[in-house]
Amino acid sequence: MIEVRDIHTHIGQYHILEGVSFHAPKGQITALLGRNGAGKTTTLKTIMGITPPSRGKVVYDGHEIQGLRSFDIASQGIGYVPEHRAIFRDLSVEENLKIAERKKGDFARKQAMIFDLFPDLARLIHLPGTNLSGGQQQMLAIARALVPDNRLLLIDEPSEGLAPVIIEQLMNAIRTLSAETTVLLVEQNFLVASRLAEFYVIIEEGQSVRAGEMADLAGDEATIGRYLGAG
Amino acid sequence: MDRLLQNFRRNRTLLITLAVFAVFFLLAIRGMPAEEWVITLLRSLAVGSITFLVASGFSLIFGLMDVLNLAHGTLFMIGAYIGWTVFVRPDTFVDVATPAGLIGMGIALAPLWAYAFGSGTLRLPRSRIVPWLGLAAAVAALWWGLARYPITSWDPAVYAESPITYAFAAGQGTLSLPEPELFTSSPYLVLAALAFGSLAAGAGMGGFSAGRSAGAGASAPGTRRLPRGALIAAGLLLALALGTFFFHGTLTAALFGLNSTARFVLAILVAVGVGFGMGALVESALIRPLYARPIYQILMTLGVSAIGIELVRGIWGRPEFTMPKPAIFDGTGEGCPAVSLADLFAHQCSTFELLGSRVRTYNEIFVPLLGLIVLVAIWLLLRRSRLGMVIRAGVQDSEMVEALGINVRRVFTLVFGLGVGLAALGGVVAGPSMGLSLGMGERLLINALIALAIGGLTSFPGAAAGSLLVGVIQQFIIKYGQIGISIPFTEIVFKPTPPLVPASTVLLMVIVLLLMPNGLFGRRD
Repeated sequence: MIEVRDIHTHIGQYHILEGVSFHAPKGQITALLGRNGAGKTTTLKTIMGITPPSRGKVVYDGHEIQGLRSFDIASQGIGYVPEHRAIFRDLSVEENLKIAERKKGDFARKQAMIFDLFPDLARLIHLPGTNLSGGQQQMLAIARALVPDNRLLLIDEPSEGLAPVIIEQLMNAIRTLSAETTVLLVEQNFLVASRLAEFYVIIEEGQSVRAGEMADLAGDEATIGRYLGAG
Repeated sequence: MDRLLQNFRRNRTLLITLAVFAVFFLLAIRGMPAEEWVITLLRSLAVGSITFLVASGFSLIFGLMDVLNLAHGTLFMIGAYIGWTVFVRPDTFVDVATPAGLIGMGIALAPLWAYAFGSGTLRLPRSRIVPWLGLAAAVAALWWGLARYPITSWDPAVYAESPITYAFAAGQGTLSLPEPELFTSSPYLVLAALAFGSLAAGAGMGGFSAGRSAGAGASAPGTRRLPRGALIAAGLLLALALGTFFFHGTLTAALFGLNSTARFVLAILVAVGVGFGMGALVESALIRPLYARPIYQILMTLGVSAIGIELVRGIWGRPEFTMPKPAIFDGTGEGCPAVSLADLFAHQCSTFELLGSRVRTYNEIFVPLLGLIVLVAIWLLLRRSRLGMVIRAGVQDSEMVEALGINVRRVFTLVFGLGVGLAALGGVVAGPSMGLSLGMGERLLINALIALAIGGLTSFPGAAAGSLLVGVIQQFIIKYGQIGISIPFTEIVFKPTPPLVPASTVLLMVIVLLLMPNGLFGRRD
């Protein structure tokens, strides 16, 4: 589905990614793991075209997309749920969803599916984005990525700063939607990642150092301890 | 009680604004007869409306793109001069429309060249010098063509043929147009040179923007779309150029024969259209390469401003002149000044009686009304349209808007054009009430900046409230300059001198900013 080949990304004078390569298979959840500052978020931003790579290739659905502007990349069917959710404060919940439409009527078609996944949002539909709690914002951010017909979702730190009950709810939602969409997930919380994802990629100091099936990693205390800290 | 307190906290800004207004009115009414302050208030509305037209565009641009467009005042002024030309000298307008349309056509086609280079239909020359050569060829061809294109206009150096004289004659209804200038070389050769020059300019610009985005993988399908909007714009501009060329005499006579109200509407439309085009061009050609370097951007807008002022000085001359009012607001004969609304409409009076004194229809009724209409229109655009939704979201986080699949760059160009179009509208409307001068833009820009600082830089209601406050304060200080303020418990009557008029708004700004650093409606970040 999406393949990243040896990407290097500079932000200003800093060389953030120094060779990240991996493959995220279709219809599965792949988790990017690694310590703080390892380059996980930058990897997602590089795929999205927000911080374009200076070298390397991003192949999506058989086509190279690196170097395209991020609206073009999104239009290929990639949804982005950024780290701090980036809910538009001045827009109502409904507008936050409608702005993601790529064709007229996208929201109307997906409405039932979205409210099924996140019943809270139906109740909050007319509230301004600024009035939502952290968990509600996270739900809205994911819901927003579901409005157009996206085939790949990039989700950055969905569990960050949320209560366990909410995390559980979000995990269920992500699992449900991954039936139809490929998901690339950045997750600091290893427990969450290991329960959600089928595949993992470990990023360390801007390089992809290890990848494989999540089931193999779960028992590998040594690797977890070495790359992910306490785990 | 708790509820009340909470409500108070939530609506603090609104309440404070109301309180400021209330205190001000109380002060204003003291020692001033009711009719005087009603009229002063109407005048404030006029000043406030024009300030608002400049401030709202400036604030939209700053809010969305973080660009401090210091050329906004100059573009306002250019709008006024263009409106004046269409209104007073339709022959010059028709003459200029042909070359302007041709040049605009080529530039509008720039995205098509970028598309052709980008999609591989045309091979972008490896050498970076080629786009520069295109631009050089364009300048040479345009120079040659424009020098030979006959434009009937005025001569600021000769009083009898200066804009002052034409403006005066138009106001008196005694205007006669001078003999049209004629081609001295083959008209078709000149047209061909202009068309070639504009196409070369567009190709050069397209080459530059394709060069900037080179290195893209771009094997993905459907990422390069034919720029249909550019094709339509170019087609319309070409039609304008050819239409004004072939029906030159007929058009001039028809426009000159129009009644002045219709011509005024045309002047507004042309100025707003040209303003939109100028704004879109400035953003896409000059500001866009500098988004990563804000300081250079500010210097760039300052440069645009300086060039604009010199251009206006070169074309229209240094002396100030007036723009006559359209006939519908300029009746003086029988039945004027009007004493009732029916009279006002029947005789189209320039003034009417209100509470025993005379009020000018154009300044004190039309201008505030237009300001109100624009206020509602922008509000509807922002709140009810998809573009407005994208603008409100983009003000907060344009990166995320783009990541949703929206071409933010195009929205930037559109909003820049819209903002400058609003300023140009302000310019045309200000023409008949404040006259045309080289300093009008800077004066207005300073007023608008103060209004925005008071209201909150990126807040739309703030722009409206701030502009209104600036208008109110300035007009009341002017009024007090005539009648004096008696200081309580003393015999002293204080008469503010003219320099205190601009100073008073700065003072208000300082007070507001000390109490509320983000302005009345600004958001705390």
